Amino acid sequence: MTQAKLDLLQGTLDLMVLRTLSVLGPLHGYGIARRIEQVSGDEVLLNQGTIYASLVRLQQRGWIKAAWGVSGNNRRAKYYSLTKAGQKKLAAGTENWERTTAMMSRFLTMGDGGAQ
Amino acid sequence: MILWLRVTLSRLQAVFLKGRLDREFDDELRDHLEALGEQYEAAGMSREEARRAAVRKLGNQQQLREANRDYRGLPLLETAAQDFRYALRTLWKNRGFASIAVVMLALGIGLCSCLFSYHNALVLQPAPGVREPARLVALQAPVTYPYFESYRDASGVASAAAVFIGPVPFGIGLDGAGAGRPERIFGHLVSADYFSTIGAEPSLGRFFDPAKERTGTAATVVVSERFWRMRLNADPGVVGRILRINGQRATIVGVGRKGFLGVFPAATADIFLPLTVDAAFAPELAGDVLHNANSPVFNCVFRLAPKMSIAAAETALDGQTKRLNEHAGKDRDTNRNRRGRLIQLVMAGGVSPMSIEQRSIFAGIFGLMMGLILSFTCANLAGLMLARGSARGKEIAIRLSVGATRSRLIRQLLVESVTIATIGGAAGLAVTYGLLNLLSDFLAGSAPFASEIRVTPDLRVTLLTFAISALAGAGFGLMPALATTRPDLMTGLKGAATAGLGRHRRFSMRNLFMVYQVASAMALVLVVGFMITGIRQGMSRDPGFDTAGLYLFSIDPARDGYSPDESAAMLTRLPERLGRLNGVEGVTLAEPGPFNNLAAPNTDVSTTGPGAQESTHRVSLQTIGPDFFATLHAPVLRGMEFGSRDLRSDPGTDAILPAVINHSAAKELFGDVDPLGRVIRQGARSFQVAGVVRFGMPSFFKKEAMPTVFLPLTMKNLRRGTKGFRVAFRARPGLDFTAIRGELEAIDSRLTMFDPRTMQEQLTMLDRSVQYTTAIYPAVGLFALILACVGLAGVTAQDVARRRREIGIRMALGAHRWQVLRLVMMQGTAMVLIGSSIGFAGAYGFSRVLGSMAAEVAKVVDSNAGNPMLSVGAPLLLVLLSAIACYLPARRSTTIDPLIVLREE
Repeated sequence: MTQAKLDLLQGTLDLMVLRTLSVLGPLHGYGIARRIEQVSGDEVLLNQGTIYASLVRLQQRGWIKAAWGVSGNNRRAKYYSLTKAGQKKLAAGTENWERTTAMMSRFLTMGDGGAQ
Repeated sequence: MILWLRVTLSRLQAVFLKGRLDREFDDELRDHLEALGEQYEAAGMSREEARRAAVRKLGNQQQLREANRDYRGLPLLETAAQDFRYALRTLWKNRGFASIAVVMLALGIGLCSCLFSYHNALVLQPAPGVREPARLVALQAPVTYPYFESYRDASGVASAAAVFIGPVPFGIGLDGAGAGRPERIFGHLVSADYFSTIGAEPSLGRFFDPAKERTGTAATVVVSERFWRMRLNADPGVVGRILRINGQRATIVGVGRKGFLGVFPAATADIFLPLTVDAAFAPELAGDVLHNANSPVFNCVFRLAPKMSIAAAETALDGQTKRLNEHAGKDRDTNRNRRGRLIQLVMAGGVSPMSIEQRSIFAGIFGLMMGLILSFTCANLAGLMLARGSARGKEIAIRLSVGATRSRLIRQLLVESVTIATIGGAAGLAVTYGLLNLLSDFLAGSAPFASEIRVTPDLRVTLLTFAISALAGAGFGLMPALATTRPDLMTGLKGAATAGLGRHRRFSMRNLFMVYQVASAMALVLVVGFMITGIRQGMSRDPGFDTAGLYLFSIDPARDGYSPDESAAMLTRLPERLGRLNGVEGVTLAEPGPFNNLAAPNTDVSTTGPGAQESTHRVSLQTIGPDFFATLHAPVLRGMEFGSRDLRSDPGTDAILPAVINHSAAKELFGDVDPLGRVIRQGARSFQVAGVVRFGMPSFFKKEAMPTVFLPLTMKNLRRGTKGFRVAFRARPGLDFTAIRGELEAIDSRLTMFDPRTMQEQLTMLDRSVQYTTAIYPAVGLFALILACVGLAGVTAQDVARRRREIGIRMALGAHRWQVLRLVMMQGTAMVLIGSSIGFAGAYGFSRVLGSMAAEVAKVVDSNAGNPMLSVGAPLLLVLLSAIACYLPARRSTTIDPLIVLREE
């Protein structure tokens, strides 16, 4: 039960990271974590370090790539950016997610619809 | 799929970039912390507060690092490498234990695969170049050609059948200038369907064809690939070349495939002549043997018809033989063999003909030895592992208590076992190749054209043995691991010995293994002892004559181109002419038999007992010339030996020949009755006993000298002379054959002397052939002893280490050193005694089983059961050695200082 919930969260987190990089362009780990927190509140990340597991996974699958660059206040940092495969995955993931949520919300609101 | 590959590759890469990736991740975390800190400071926290908040926000860094490492790399592989390094370190620390285990595995694996390779080469391996060897059978004894024709046509038994005479020697020379002296090479005289029956194919030219090889056509010959390569320089245009065979010209029509050396390669054949050639090519063919009803010289080979079993074929051919005998009016019914049959079929697809019973005896002996060695190695390893496991209880308890998971510990112990098994397996391969090389060197001592049996290591068996031992090692490594990792930390931490104190250890697993080991060592030593003494029994026996100053050589006038009459004339004069040479004291002539007599007695003769009842005996039948026993200095006990009158006689087929018998034949045939003047019958022939001598050549499986009946050489033998002749003479020691060669040259330049040697050399050669067949047995016995002792010593040493505390307390309470020693030794001694008795009983039981399968083995066992060397010596040796093996490590118990031990509390 716990395992299944975790898996769902992981997949969700991966999609969030991809979306963040797609919207904001190349970003370091702190930036990604902060952005996700800003959008979702504290509901997704247990702590900000959790983001790195997701980053490794996405890198291994070739959806994002990393390069060392210089941050705004002139500090060296590791920047992650979306690859071509990552863009495709994001598109596919988004569509899949929308279909799932649409289906789920239809399903969960069915009782109300029947009453109308 | 591609995604999976990509992930795996990336993970693999990460394993190799470990250090760099670790540093990069540390940098990344630091950047993250700083960024977070700045964010919190900007929100108004103090620097210190911000730093602490940042650390909290990021999460446990150590955990993050480890998670990162696990995610990105291959954690299983990395911990395996870690375990492997750790295993090497611990094994190095316990060099004694590790080397014992490795040596044991190496010997076990090496010996097992050697044994199998050996068995494979002698028994299992099919004859090279033969199609479907399992369907080939042969008659054990040669028959006449008319009988063969009848067998061949017997409906439904065989889908193909062929006959051959052989192996027979040929004097082979190359045609043309510089050919030199002819060389003596063995081959088969074959029917045209010989090759098609056994399914051999030519590599060059053709084999024989019933339409082409007919009586009266020009002689043709087929040679083996080996002969073609070694004597004809692998000439690709060899077909059509002429070969001189016994002085006659024959055209080479074909060359066999590589490895093909006739149907029974143990007795190799390099030359194949059709049976239809003129008798000038081979004296064996003289007297129109193909149509002669009294020439049982043909070996029959059958390819069994589909669905025909050997037993059914034997029954059918036996019935056929009975009808043929009745039809011919011959009373050969007395010649029934032990199984009540007139004939016996043997399997013909192997390197030598072998009956089903012989095959199962071989399989039984080899199977038993391999099984014992394998189980032995496993038991020994298991015992060691168990002992070590219990001695490590404390280490494991500590590691559990500082947080190692149970699965991680078990994995590590398994890796340790596998490491030992791997090293042992590698060493085992080395042992296999080393032993087999030794064996091959041993074989290579024989002549270049001798048997080509190759003993090659069988990789499958080596791997199988390796896998079994590795599994055993792992399994028994796991058992104590499971037991000791059970979370009972307190006992473990306090010291393993406490746990042992109250418990009964008498029938523990470890003791069981030890008993088993001693038992199987005992059984192995005894069985091996039976084998060696049985086979060698006859070898060391006094042959009954004086070998010093005795020399031998062979001649074969028929193959040097002599006509029968020329041959007889030359041979009657030869002893006299050689005897006139300076330094030669006595000369005698015989057929080749008497001095290479390793074969079991192979002729059935019958005698009439006091109550006029017939009895049949199996004897060795030899033909010898005048003054044979006088030359040998073998005492004539009764009557007299043959004289030159016998040599010059020319008896008809129904004449009663005089016979000389040796003492064991006299005992076997006539018991206590005076044998002189008694009649011995063999088939249609009769002999009358004229003398009794003391003479006995070495033989397998025999305590008594082989019963031998000697017949006189007559003009008839001298003329026929198909086997050649052997000349034995006595001269001063240190003679070289120059004078003899000169005299032969003077008699006739055609005459070729071969196999010149001293009698002692001849006997040594016989001995060598026996040594070859028994070479592996002492190794097995020795291995068993070494293993048992090493195992005992190892277990005792571990036992002493384990009971340190107990011994310390006992000594503190006033126990003497010898009392402590007795305590430690008692357990080992008890195991040795129990084990030896079980092994003793087992060995005798097994021998009985073997004995019920073969009369020869039964005799050996009977004659050895009371052999004090074995039945008393072997157990004594084992007990003595194991007592030493126990004592050496047990001695250490007396050096235990109670003060030190008790302070360890």
